[in-house]
Amino acid sequence: MNARLNRTSWIARITFLEAIRQRFFAFLLVLSAAMVVSSVSLRFMDFGHSELKFVADFAFGGMFLFGSVLALVMTAQLFFAEIENRTALTLLAKPLSRTEFLLGKFLGTWAVLGVFVFSLAFLQGVILWSRTQELIVLAAETGRVAPDFSVSGLASFAVLQWLRLGVVAAMVLMVSAVARTFLFTVIVGAMAIVAGQLQWLAQEALLKPSDASMVTKTLLWISSRVIPNLQQFNIGDTLVLDPTAISGTAVWSVVLSGLFYLVAFLALASLAFRRREI
Amino acid sequence: MSTSSAISVQGLTKDFRVGLRGVKLRAVDNLSLEIPRGQVFGLLGPNGCGKSTTLKIVLGLIPATSGAISILGFPSATSEARQRTGFLPEAPYFHKFLTGRELVQYCARLSGVPAEKVNEAVEASLELAAMTEAASRPIGTYSKGMLQRIGLAQAIVHDPELVILDEPTAGVDPVGSAAIGRMINAMRAKGKTIVLCSHLLGQVEQVCDRVAIMDRGRLVLEGRVDEVLAQRDRHVITVADLTPQARQAAEAALAAHGATVTSITHPRRSLEDLFRELVTGSRDA
Repeated sequence: MNARLNRTSWIARITFLEAIRQRFFAFLLVLSAAMVVSSVSLRFMDFGHSELKFVADFAFGGMFLFGSVLALVMTAQLFFAEIENRTALTLLAKPLSRTEFLLGKFLGTWAVLGVFVFSLAFLQGVILWSRTQELIVLAAETGRVAPDFSVSGLASFAVLQWLRLGVVAAMVLMVSAVARTFLFTVIVGAMAIVAGQLQWLAQEALLKPSDASMVTKTLLWISSRVIPNLQQFNIGDTLVLDPTAISGTAVWSVVLSGLFYLVAFLALASLAFRRREI
Repeated sequence: MSTSSAISVQGLTKDFRVGLRGVKLRAVDNLSLEIPRGQVFGLLGPNGCGKSTTLKIVLGLIPATSGAISILGFPSATSEARQRTGFLPEAPYFHKFLTGRELVQYCARLSGVPAEKVNEAVEASLELAAMTEAASRPIGTYSKGMLQRIGLAQAIVHDPELVILDEPTAGVDPVGSAAIGRMINAMRAKGKTIVLCSHLLGQVEQVCDRVAIMDRGRLVLEGRVDEVLAQRDRHVITVADLTPQARQAAEAALAAHGATVTSITHPRRSLEDLFRELVTGSRDA
């Protein structure tokens, strides 16, 4: 068991090093950081929401958008680089199982996504905290209700985002394990992310009483089970600005659902990769 | 399966399905081969003859359609077999951002070398591959010859009993090629079994104890290099001694013409000639 963990951690370590040195990662990190910072200057365009909520929503949206692009492209790229450059031949000829190899690739990629999410969350935290302090002073002067900002809520949100990107990366890895080309993986992976974002529609349609045919209901049921609901992770503003409005049970159910899909996609990826000819 | 063999291949067949219609392409056709331990074994054949496919199946990288393979008595593709095998793929590519030493350390850990022995194993393999001096440089700065040598170092870092080298001298200049030849001899001296896939027939002839030639997925010849290259219907005299009677007669005959007999041995044709005779016309004609 120790040997397996050791080999997996070495694959993850090298994958992480390879990913972190890519310009693509640095580019997306800088772009996302710029978006988070710019959210402060856009606070007057709040469309009727509270200022902090707009700032948080704007930054969290950027984090998910660029995080998804990073999870999609980087997972596919790191996987296919090993196949196309034939480094996989060298590695898999060693006493390393394909599951260990795949798991190592996933963990390395997930670690990079962790750096991305937690760096941006830290930056977002600094911005929200400093603006909250200004608003608290302003509220005291004007007699208005002071805004709330929860650091632990932000930490929970960052963990949830990390989990969501982990689900995306596992989904892309599953596609990579059966796909022959990088382009196919990216296209199918992008479609899967969009399907995940729209999965709640299938859930809602299934829950609503309707006279839909049995076939439609069956398709809706399958869609709502097979495709992960990526929208359920969108509770950032509530966690950060109004943590009492959401129960711990609800947060845990999101975590467990994310973990279930993550493990399921990795298991399917492993099964598919075992049969792949390299 | 023979446990005395380093590699035992019995009735190996591999079919690939190609195109949308899934047309069957037979890459390896009922191949049976025994590679003895402690020898340098050359696996030869033209491009597309099934050598690399055979190696990949032996290493468990692709499944066989039928047949049985064992490595050092263990079924191939098992952890036990891989623990005892080192592999250098053709035109190896490694992570460019790692230094040579980091790569070999990485491979040592993946191959199960205990943490406390990694440094010692890494330095020994770097030394054998003559890469100690360049080991601290990033792999991205290496020449082709250095890439092959660092590839060799990663293949032997866990002290495997069997080393499989796929085109270890491809793209390497004659000096680098000779250096790799010396490394193979050094490994043989340590009792390792080496399987060598190469197009450099001269080098194969020099370093291999046995050779097998494949064509169109089939084994067309296998045996000791000396045996397969000897032309037994002719003799070449090169040294002074012969059987007493024959020598006497030969010397007398030759002395009459002012010549001295120095040796008598079986003449050899080159491995390249044999290779061409066996495979030319079947693929390129």
